[in-house]
Amino acid sequence: MNITDLKKQEKAKIVSLKKFGKQFMDRLMDVGIYESAEVTLLNILAFDKLYLLEVDDIEICLRKEDALNIEVKQ
Amino acid sequence: MIYLLAGNPNVGKSTFFNFMTLSHVHVGNYSGVTVEKRVHHIKHYEGANLVDLPGTYNVSPSSEDEGVVTYSLLNEKYSGIINIIDSTHLRRNLHLTVQLLELGVPTLLVFNLRDALRNNGYVIDIEKMANKLKTNAVCISARERNSEDRINISNKLKNLRAFKALELDYHPHIKWGIQRIRDLLRYDSLKVDKKWLALQILEGNEGIYKFLEIVKEEKIRAVVSEVEEKIIEDDVALSLKGAIFNTRREFINSLVDECLFQVEDKEHSKYFNQKIDRILTHPGWGIPIFFAIMLVVYQLSFGKFLGLGAFLTSYLDYFWNEILVFYLGNFLQLLGITGFAYGLIIDGIMAGVGGILVFLPQIIVLFFMLALLEGTGYMARVAIVMDRFLSKFGFNGKSIVPMITGLGCTVPAIMATRTIADKKERMITILTLPFISCSARLPIYVIFISMFFDKYRAFVMLGIYLLGITVTLVSAKIFSLSFFKGKGSKFLLEVPPYRMPQLRTITYQAFEKARRFVKKAGTYILIGSIILWLLSNTGFSGINIDPKDSFLADIAGLISPLFIPLGFGEWQATSSLISGFLAKEIVVSSLNILYLGDIASGFTTLSALTYVVFASLYIPCISTVATIRSETGSRKWTFFSIIYPFVVAYLVALIVRLILGLFI
Repeated sequence: MNITDLKKQEKAKIVSLKKFGKQFMDRLMDVGIYESAEVTLLNILAFDKLYLLEVDDIEICLRKEDALNIEVKQ
Repeated sequence: MIYLLAGNPNVGKSTFFNFMTLSHVHVGNYSGVTVEKRVHHIKHYEGANLVDLPGTYNVSPSSEDEGVVTYSLLNEKYSGIINIIDSTHLRRNLHLTVQLLELGVPTLLVFNLRDALRNNGYVIDIEKMANKLKTNAVCISARERNSEDRINISNKLKNLRAFKALELDYHPHIKWGIQRIRDLLRYDSLKVDKKWLALQILEGNEGIYKFLEIVKEEKIRAVVSEVEEKIIEDDVALSLKGAIFNTRREFINSLVDECLFQVEDKEHSKYFNQKIDRILTHPGWGIPIFFAIMLVVYQLSFGKFLGLGAFLTSYLDYFWNEILVFYLGNFLQLLGITGFAYGLIIDGIMAGVGGILVFLPQIIVLFFMLALLEGTGYMARVAIVMDRFLSKFGFNGKSIVPMITGLGCTVPAIMATRTIADKKERMITILTLPFISCSARLPIYVIFISMFFDKYRAFVMLGIYLLGITVTLVSAKIFSLSFFKGKGSKFLLEVPPYRMPQLRTITYQAFEKARRFVKKAGTYILIGSIILWLLSNTGFSGINIDPKDSFLADIAGLISPLFIPLGFGEWQATSSLISGFLAKEIVVSSLNILYLGDIASGFTTLSALTYVVFASLYIPCISTVATIRSETGSRKWTFFSIIYPFVVAYLVALIVRLILGLFI
């Protein structure tokens, strides 16, 4: 499953970011999204286009096409 | 003595910089406010300078401004590093700290936002933290501006000493890689620790190859690939960088567990933030709320109703024209100064400078409101709300921040595009930003609207702004389909917590803009006014001539026929547009001078409208063009940024004339 399968306010653990290219994976790590992190889906915005996540108290917003690439398990 | 100030984006580096040096650099609550490094003396520490660097998550650069940090660490002379850490986001901030401590130079850790951390119910055991990391550390709240903290930090800096570089227990493959690269670096004479360089190279820091000329670059790159392959093969991590990151993260987690204590059970401020965000970024309400906020900002600055700025301007206008100019005129006549000199002072300088200076209150109110918006953290929410809409035109949601800045001034707006990671989207934003009406163009609208369209004031004003925005969007779409093809980039935005902006900071920022505005009036516009008046009152037949025979009329007369189809082919109107290239404010000054205060006499309702439309879109001012040149680094695009707006302005004004000509 991936981030978009979660319900609002549900928590999960990130299992893989493999689907991203190396460059974007590096950027995600820089801002604080990494494998094994506990992630909360805070909100779904802009009519299901943007996903607002929280990892370690940091709020990150990304587009749905990228959220699909973040694999998680509960 | 030089100290580098490093830290993640939006942790209060600039606030700390201002606090330590008693200066006033621009601060805001979103990532990427500081785009250039700045230097200033440290208070209470004779001979010491603090260098404010752009925020970075990592020593390895992933965007243009982050390269500045690697460059400074490698090539600058410095006595130590001050690392500012956001105490409320320790786990992420400490990644940069670990990298800096691995370098082994004297470092002071400043854990900022102590008050925000305490409000969430936590404190840091600072002594323990310093011991664990074997370095110097303090915990403060920079925005409280406690002078004891300042003295304490200055003293700590004076006694700052180097500890042994921090060493983490990386995976054996990485240790092997570090050893191999160190061996290969023996041909280079470097002043930075080679072990640190080796680790940075393994992490993928391209800046090292760029800023240092490494002799065995190819062999080193081969080692990096080899280590990366082994890491992936043995399933250590997804990538080499990931493996290094994981080791650091484990170290940081155990550190935070030991040094961060909950002292009170409080509701975390993030829940409060999330409640507000559910309204402000609401799919349906988000955009209307944003427009309502911008409308209030403009109404307060320029509107008749609630218009604080416009109200003060009317008083300043009265004071300048009815009192100052009146008494100065009488005084000059008393001294027996008449004719040419009298004209130069009253009709040239006083009319030219005064015509612009009276807008000062409106400019102050506008910049005050913009600083207020920046300080709260609302800008990041606007980027979220607007991303879907803007991405359809080839922009990124983040483009909205420069666009709002552009309502004030285009120059800082273009510099603010550095936070847009994608090159294409950044170029599109830079090239279309000049179409957003900056505050310098406002006097032109205000003057013409008050003379020709007073009844429809708000309507016409809104129309001009919407026209500018439409041209921005359409141009962006055209560029993204022609020059900058390709699929859209990613949108990755960190959403900062809301913070209450400090009154002293935003007031200072507004007055700083006011100071620059007055300075511009006292230099550019003063000189421009003198030159214009002289050129329009001298000619081949000497002085005291009919302005129609003046030098200016001759010069502008060469170009003015071009504007006949638009309805304003007179030499006065044309000269004003030409001089507007220096600064858009000069357009109004020169209209005042050349039409001898009676601008209405030179225009019809229709030509006034086409003039305003043309002036709102045509060639950006010289400072903007220079900024485009330095930010794009391209002569071709700089040239384009001059030609394209001229063509667009001409066509749009022509269309407006043809269509409205049927009705007016």
